[in-house]
Amino acid sequence: MILTDVLGSRVTSSDGRYLGRVADARFVLDQPPPGQLLAGARLLGLIVSPHSAGSFMGYERNSVNRPWPWAQLLKWWHRGSFLVLWEDIEVMGPETVTLREGFSAYDPGLDGTGTA
Amino acid sequence: MNRAQNAPVHLKPAPPAAGRVLDAQLHLLDRQVIDAEGLPVTTVDDLELEGVEADSPMTAGDPPPVISALLTGPVLGTRIFGGRPPSSRLIRLPWKDVSAVDVAIKLGVRSEGLDAGWVERWIRDKIIMRIPGGKHDPH
Repeated sequence: MILTDVLGSRVTSSDGRYLGRVADARFVLDQPPPGQLLAGARLLGLIVSPHSAGSFMGYERNSVNRPWPWAQLLKWWHRGSFLVLWEDIEVMGPETVTLREGFSAYDPGLDGTGTA
Repeated sequence: MNRAQNAPVHLKPAPPAAGRVLDAQLHLLDRQVIDAEGLPVTTVDDLELEGVEADSPMTAGDPPPVISALLTGPVLGTRIFGGRPPSSRLIRLPWKDVSAVDVAIKLGVRSEGLDAGWVERWIRDKIIMRIPGGKHDPH
């Protein structure tokens, strides 16, 4: 599967409610190395933005606040963004991503979870 | 309905990750790729995921997909006009060749053996080397 097919897809709950669009995909390097160089990168989950299909520089996911007006604008634009884990994704496609019933929404912040 | 009035309001803290966390748009896509000798190779245009099929329902407990390759190719036109090139037009850089992800993505192999650099190699060998003085570094 090609990742950009999923970026921008509509995200709906299991009962069809529209939740937003896929703004990004989060990976974690914790798999056995496929070669000898770097750990394998598994899909941890998807970042869902209720108001925008994309994300610019991830202001809503880190603590960077300069330049202040720009940071505030972008954080407001992406307000309500959340992380949904792989375990809660039922179908992933280029048009629609469907989440499982009772899915959990997590804070999408990067600070403290690894590299930012 | 395209307005997300049903987006969750209360968010749980993200579970701790056992390894380094990378967001595709922020840390991988559009990054410069550098080979083992520090020479620029290409930029990352897309990622190939292994272990998931588009629009195929997953069952709980399915193992998560992993990045199998970085993809590069002729994406300028599709970025302007939409869509993406067919998979067959994209050149793969296997994830097993990636040695580090930083400001640039570093490979552990030399670019001479990679398909991603064939255009530059062709221009170097067929055009630049035929220009007088084109076979050596500038003095």
